[in-house]
Order: sequence, then C-alpha cells, then structure tokens
Amino acid sequence: MAQYIYLTGENLNVISKTLGPAMKNKDPGPIREMAERETEAGVDFIDLNIGPARKGGPELMEWIVKTVQEVTDLPLFLDTSNVEAIEAGLKTYQPKKGKAIVNSIMARPQRMEALIPLAAKYDAGMVALLWGPEGMPRDTDERAMFVSELYMAATEAGIQPEDIYVDPIVTPVNVQQDQIPHCLGLYQVQQDLAPGTRSTNGLSNVSNGSPDHLRPILNQTFLMLLMHSGVQGAIVDAFDQPLHDIARGKMPELLELMGKVMDGEEIDMSKLSKEETDYVKTARVLLGHSLYSDSWLEL
Amino acid sequence: MAVEIPKVSYTGKIKTIPIGDPSKGILVGGDEAYPFYGFEGALPNAPRIAMDVQDTPPEECAATIRELFSDVWDDPVAWAQKCIQEYGADMIDLELASTDPNGLDRSAEEAAEMVKKVADSIDVPLIVYGTANVEKDSDVLRMVCEVCEGRHLMVGPVQEGNYKKIGAAAIAYKHTVIANTPIDINLAKQLNILLGNLGVPDEQILIDPTTGGLGYGLEYTYSVMERIRMAAMVQQDEKLQLPMICNIGKEVWKTKEAKQTIEEAPELGDPTQRGVLMEAITAQDLLLAGANILILRHPETVKLVRSMIQELMG
Repeated sequence: MAQYIYLTGENLNVISKTLGPAMKNKDPGPIREMAERETEAGVDFIDLNIGPARKGGPELMEWIVKTVQEVTDLPLFLDTSNVEAIEAGLKTYQPKKGKAIVNSIMARPQRMEALIPLAAKYDAGMVALLWGPEGMPRDTDERAMFVSELYMAATEAGIQPEDIYVDPIVTPVNVQQDQIPHCLGLYQVQQDLAPGTRSTNGLSNVSNGSPDHLRPILNQTFLMLLMHSGVQGAIVDAFDQPLHDIARGKMPELLELMGKVMDGEEIDMSKLSKEETDYVKTARVLLGHSLYSDSWLEL
Repeated sequence: MAVEIPKVSYTGKIKTIPIGDPSKGILVGGDEAYPFYGFEGALPNAPRIAMDVQDTPPEECAATIRELFSDVWDDPVAWAQKCIQEYGADMIDLELASTDPNGLDRSAEEAAEMVKKVADSIDVPLIVYGTANVEKDSDVLRMVCEVCEGRHLMVGPVQEGNYKKIGAAAIAYKHTVIANTPIDINLAKQLNILLGNLGVPDEQILIDPTTGGLGYGLEYTYSVMERIRMAAMVQQDEKLQLPMICNIGKEVWKTKEAKQTIEEAPELGDPTQRGVLMEAITAQDLLLAGANILILRHPETVKLVRSMIQELMG
C-alpha cells in the first residue's frame, strides 16, 4: 500500500464563480492567484478545467496554460472534452517539472482515435478514464476491459505506461453506492492488466450530493480506502488540509484502522474515539457493508 | 447424488405492526422470508387488500369505475360500506382529493370531519391519503390525526418536508405514519431514521416507496422494493425492517390507457378488462417485491389478487 501519494489540485475550474468569468474575459489575475495558492498548498499537479469550451476552446487553453506557467513550474492536467483545445494546450505547454497530462481519454473509439495520437505526438501523459461506449462501467470487469483497451492503444502509439494515469470513476455514494467497491476493485487488478501504469481518482465525486458538512469525512475516508487499494494519486481540493495529511502519510493510525475495516477484521468499537468511530462507520458505508443514508453517522 | 435446494439464510425479519382497532388484533408484516417463500421461513400475516374511496366525485375516470360506484359517488361513507359489504375489502383507504390546493382546496377541518365520519361508520382499519402537497398535507393530516384520536389510522404520504409536523401528531394521537419517498432506497432509509429520531416508534411506521403502475415506472418501484426487502432481511438494515404499502389503484386508473374507451383505443381491447389487468399485474408484481398492503380500486382486481395471495400462501 502507498503511504505517500501525489495530489492534483482541482480548484482551477470553470465552474468557480470567480474563475469562470476570469476565463471568459481572459483576466489573468484570478487565474494566476489560484495557481500560486495551489502551488503553495503543496499539490504535485494542477488541473486546468476549462469545461467543454465549445467556443474559442483552443485560444482559451493556450492562454490559460501560458498564464499558469508564468507563476508555477508544476505539471498541468489539461482538462476539457474539446480536442482542439487539448492540442493547443499541448503545443503551448513548456515542460518544467514534468509532462502535461491530457485529462482525459475515455475508452470510446472516437475519443481514443482523436486524443491518443496527440498525447504521443507532444510527449504528454494521459488520464485513462474508464468510461465506455455505453457510458459508466457496471462493475470491475467492465472497468478491466476498458483499461486493457486503453492500455493497448496507448502503448501501441508509443506512450509509456508510467505516463498513463488510470481513473476507474467513482460515483456519488448517495446514488450509486454499489459501484464504489467496483471502482476500488479495479486498482487491485490494475497492475496485472496494465503493468507499470499509474493511477488517479476524481475523488470529490464520491460525496457529490451528500450534505455539505459531511463531504470532508466521505472524501477523507474514501482517500484512505483508495490508498489501501493501491492508488498512486487523486484529484482533490487543494486546500483540504486533512486530505493532504492523509496523502502524505501523516495519519498512519487512522490509515491502519481503515485497512482493518477493509479486510473485514472485527473491530472493537468501544475502544475507539468518537472520531475513529465516525471514520469506521463511513468506511463501512463506502464499502457497501451498510446502506447509505444522510444520517449514517447517527446510527 | 441428491439435489440440494439452495436456501437463503436470513439475518433479519420484518417487524409486525398492529393496524386499526387494537382489540381486533389485525397485524401486518412479521415476514421471516422473502415474499411467498413460506418454505424458507414463517410468513404469519398474508398481504392485505384495501380499497380506495374518493372524498369527492372524481372528475375524470374510467367508465367501469363510474358504473360500479356512481350510486355512492358523492357519499364516502356509503362508498366505503359498498367496498366492505359487497367486495370484501380488508380495509378502506380514503383519498382526500378535495383538499388539493390546485383543485377544490377544501380545508383541513372539513377534511378531518369527513375522515371521522367514515372512521365512525366502519370497523375495518382506515388509511388516509392526502394529495402529496407537502404544506397542505401537513395541515390536513395533522388535523385528521387530532380529530380521529384513538382511531388508529394510517396516514400519509408523510414526506421529508412534513414529517416533523405529521409525525408529532401521529405520536400524540397514536396513529401510524406512511413514510413516503420518491423510489429511492437511501431516501427511504433516511426518512425512517428521521421519524425514529423524532420519536415515532417502529410499530407506527409503514414504508410507501412510491408506486409506479404498469407502463409508468413499475420496474423502478419493483427494483427499489426488492432492494429494501433484501437490505432488511439479509443485510440487517434495521431501519428498513418495516412493512410496505403500495397505493396502486390511484396510479393505474389515472393513466391514459386505463381511461380510454374502445372507440379511442380499439387496438387495446375491452376497456374494463384492460384496466383490471393493468391493476392486477401491477399488484401481483409488487406483491412479489414485498408489498404487505395493497390499495386497489376495481372489485375484479381485488378478486384476482386475493385468489393469487390465497394460492401462494398455501
């Protein structure tokens, strides 16, 4: 199990109320400031999410890559579904502390044919998003099929395994609780199917739709379950300090406790603190041992 | 080698809930096996059938329903009697359609008086359904609970938006709440937790998972009920170990197909048989998914479903 994993900051996002307009108006101030803050917060990568960017995507991506690279040396995830915008970003990107990473390439023939050659041409990495021709995968096996397809296509195109970041997609616990163990399960077989690849996870989605004050414990617990499943990194809120502590191996006891829950060991709840009890309950919900409800901590 | 029949190992059971006048000892639930799996565990209480009565003459309805009930159309007391005497309903569901704020918007007081009149005239258990308008139901059902103190009604739909007010009245005046959520197992569990936190005892809660009729979401209701029952019986989910109620007549008979005449839809065949079969198939499926109480409208459906229950219960 990884005791130290990398983090990608998710905060440079078009859905932000200040950054969205800044992207639209090409106002560099707020964009630079966020890139600086994320860098100071200690993330390893910065995700640049410009959304679908149907109009003016290439110009926007080119501009934002330049703007961000003026203030940080961190490698960037280029996050949009617009293929031309991805290419514009790759063309502009200057590798300082690492390659740019295309976020993301789905296991759909059209997307693979359009994007894999670009990643290869510009010597970039890629997020292999396990989303298939019919949408969300239904279980670990479908995810396994998609990872094999992406791995084969990418390595044939000349992309190195260590430049492939596999994301098996996590669903919100309040709508598709049963999919979470299937997401974790993929990491456990990933190295057999796609040796040498790396991994990532759009972790905040797990708590999407749950009450706001309960999102941190869901995200933190899920990160620990991911680490026990062998994940090497995750895309997170750059300013969530407990997530940093967990990812950087500063919470070894809690991480060990989560491992016990995952292995199905008997746990003497009477010996746990209130905080530990809450983490155990949350892990049990995420692993599907007990059915989710918004009040799971009160049971 | 002898064939070994697989057997489910149950770790939970459905709570037994008394309904109606306690001196009559009518119980629902208590299931210790999946629906009709009497060979795997005890099923002490067969599913029960209620028939629905409208508190005001329906504006639009299928010809067969109009023919059967037009003599009692504007008298819920007589309508209830007819369902019990002629069609053998185990219980009555009074639908308070007249309280709809977008319709007649009858007051909570008037509605409660009507409920009391019907409750006083029958000796089978009485279910009372509002219009699913969160604010209006909150007023109407609270008043119904108060005016009918001691009548042990089942009142619903109690939703996340009004559970506190109706739940408190149900505790104070000893009625059972029908906890209704929009076809979602997580929300069903959550509402039961909230009702429990409020102090409503488990013995006063029924689950209404929201009914989709044949062609109108039946498979979603089926699937959620099946999962609720599995969570209750093999995953020890205590918050879901409660009987389920399905309001079927209302959903089926409001559909276009159930109301169309033979001239309007000749390809769909005899309208009466069509509507009855749509209602019976919905009922049969939801029984298989774990329904403990069904609310039906057409007496022919009642007959069909009752014979199915009798045969399957052995």
